Amino acid sequence: MADRVLKVNAFTTFDLLDGSVEGHGFEEAAFATLNVRTAREAPEEVSLELELDNTELESVPPHADRVTLSAAEARTLASELEAAADRVAATEADT
Amino acid sequence: MPTKVERWKDETYGMEIRDHLLRFAEEGWDAIPDDEHDAWFERFKWWGLYHQRKGQESYFMMRIGTPMGRMTPEQLRTVGEVANEYATGPVDNPEFGGAYADFTTRQSIQLHWIKVEDIEDIWDELESVGLSTIQACGDSWRNIVGSPVAGRDADELIDVWPIVQNLHETFKGNDLYSNLPRKWKVAVTGDRRGAGQGDINDLAFEPATKDIDGAEVEGFNVNVGGGLARKEPRFARDIDVFCRPENATDVAAGLSALFRDYGDREDRFNARIKFLVDEWGPEKVRAVLQDEYVDYELPSAGEGLRDEYDYNAGRADAAGDYIGVYDQSDGQNFVGLSVLVGRMAADDVIDLADIADDYGSDMIGLTQRQNVIVGDIADEDLDAFLDEDLLSEYSPDPHPFMRGSIACTGTEYCSLSIVETKNRMVRYGRWLRDNVPVPEGVEDFHIHLSGCTASCAQPQIADISLRGMKTRKDGDAVEAFDVGLGGGLGENPQFADWVKMRVPADEVPGYIADLLETYETERAGPEESFRDFVSDRDEDELAALAESEETSYEDPYLGNTKMTWYPYAEDTSMDASPAPTDGQGNSLPSDD
Repeated sequence: MADRVLKVNAFTTFDLLDGSVEGHGFEEAAFATLNVRTAREAPEEVSLELELDNTELESVPPHADRVTLSAAEARTLASELEAAADRVAATEADT
Repeated sequence: MPTKVERWKDETYGMEIRDHLLRFAEEGWDAIPDDEHDAWFERFKWWGLYHQRKGQESYFMMRIGTPMGRMTPEQLRTVGEVANEYATGPVDNPEFGGAYADFTTRQSIQLHWIKVEDIEDIWDELESVGLSTIQACGDSWRNIVGSPVAGRDADELIDVWPIVQNLHETFKGNDLYSNLPRKWKVAVTGDRRGAGQGDINDLAFEPATKDIDGAEVEGFNVNVGGGLARKEPRFARDIDVFCRPENATDVAAGLSALFRDYGDREDRFNARIKFLVDEWGPEKVRAVLQDEYVDYELPSAGEGLRDEYDYNAGRADAAGDYIGVYDQSDGQNFVGLSVLVGRMAADDVIDLADIADDYGSDMIGLTQRQNVIVGDIADEDLDAFLDEDLLSEYSPDPHPFMRGSIACTGTEYCSLSIVETKNRMVRYGRWLRDNVPVPEGVEDFHIHLSGCTASCAQPQIADISLRGMKTRKDGDAVEAFDVGLGGGLGENPQFADWVKMRVPADEVPGYIADLLETYETERAGPEESFRDFVSDRDEDELAALAESEETSYEDPYLGNTKMTWYPYAEDTSMDASPAPTDGQGNSLPSDD
């Protein structure tokens, strides 16, 4: 079977997340890795990479997904994540 | 635009780094400016020093390059003495004690807990017996690999030791080749075993014969662009060149200059020559080598010996290593000893050197399977040698599960790894030995355990490949392994198929037990090797071969060892680390 597409080491942002893939007529869950990357030199964008464990998936071929974000987009994402995290934390505090 | 590393290299690199290291040794750890740590640590690699991971600041791993793993007993003894004196850390390793030497997959030696303040004294001791840390790491000619018993092995075409000595002397400390775009790994094989493992090197000389003007000439076929790193493993490609032994240095110079001039210096991830071979194709590599770098007409490739290769080849009819007693061409014997995961206590290193001396051996060999060979044992001494107490620990006839294991450094010291490796592999080996029947006919079974997707334990070329990951178990994140099957070199090299992901580390022994039971039950017979058994099955069949499960095996390192300052300390929390320390090991104030 295919090897992982993304490398995974101690610098990987998350090496163990719950993920799922959904399409028309299928939905599967698998563990995932998620990594934030920028070029070592003069980075011009932020990459966000996601890969679900291909051994757990039948509906899609082994692959990783990547989106690129400008600095402004990355900050927008970060602030939305912060706000969402605050809401989740508040729920946890209430229960 | 050149990378940051390239700019650091432009400022200071190569031989001159030695003077800076000696200055830091004199002035102490604090003399290395905090904001220049990254640059200096990158440069130190050229002289064989890697800074250890977070929580172990001010401590270094030191790598000593021994061409083809070949040493004298005196050199081995010095390694043991240096390990005892300078490579003892704040906390003992529960399996290996306070001081030890690691024998690596590139036939080098690694020592840990080295203080920069001790560098000059260590170099003095090593260099007094002809050992060096030069270019053990960094972007240059690395340690040249090959069979340590070249010239002694009765099973060889060409004695490559003089060639390798010449390459080593030509390309170590040579300013023309000291700053390459990336590491440059060379294998020279003259035996019929394929023990150089050239397929996974940037440049491989493979034994071959060629009819030239009616005469059969012995030499090498030249392959380029192999390597396991990143997610892009490659076997070295045949560039259709036959090389006479006397031309090996010229061809090697030409190819490393070609790499120096045409390799990618703008993207380190794309810098290894395997990517240039991908881009150009072997034909263009050959053409550029011919046109720009050598001044004689390169013959086309000759007849190789690949069908005879058995080293790490997964064959049922031949052992894939040097363990055991073998004939030398001079009528004496060399004896290969199993060193589980390549780590030997410093006192044992010294004992082995003394024993080798006692028996008149002139040669110790470190193998790419992290084992050690003692050469030159006379027939009449053989029984007594095999009865030495030390050989009960480092056996020439080990249990199959204590024989074939390779492990990288792991979270004990490495910045990249996400799991504990060597101690775990030792525990796996013992548990398998004590609990799992060995399938009939199996003498060596290769398990390669790597701590991350880097390839330091060569995980893609093993019967069972284990590569560090994480998973969740009973709600907690635990260390785990992706599992690959059926890789190996030999006549038809093959990378492993990855069949399971995130098997909890404590369930791996159960998986292997189940797998071997299936293999013994379903194989065509003992003549069907495990590797053949795997290659005969499709993906779905491989995934269904075995299931992971808990057993009586207990794993003390299941938690997140990369978050510890040292996995075996009584208090493992980062706050408990004594690092950084001064030259005497006393804690220094940290900015962190």
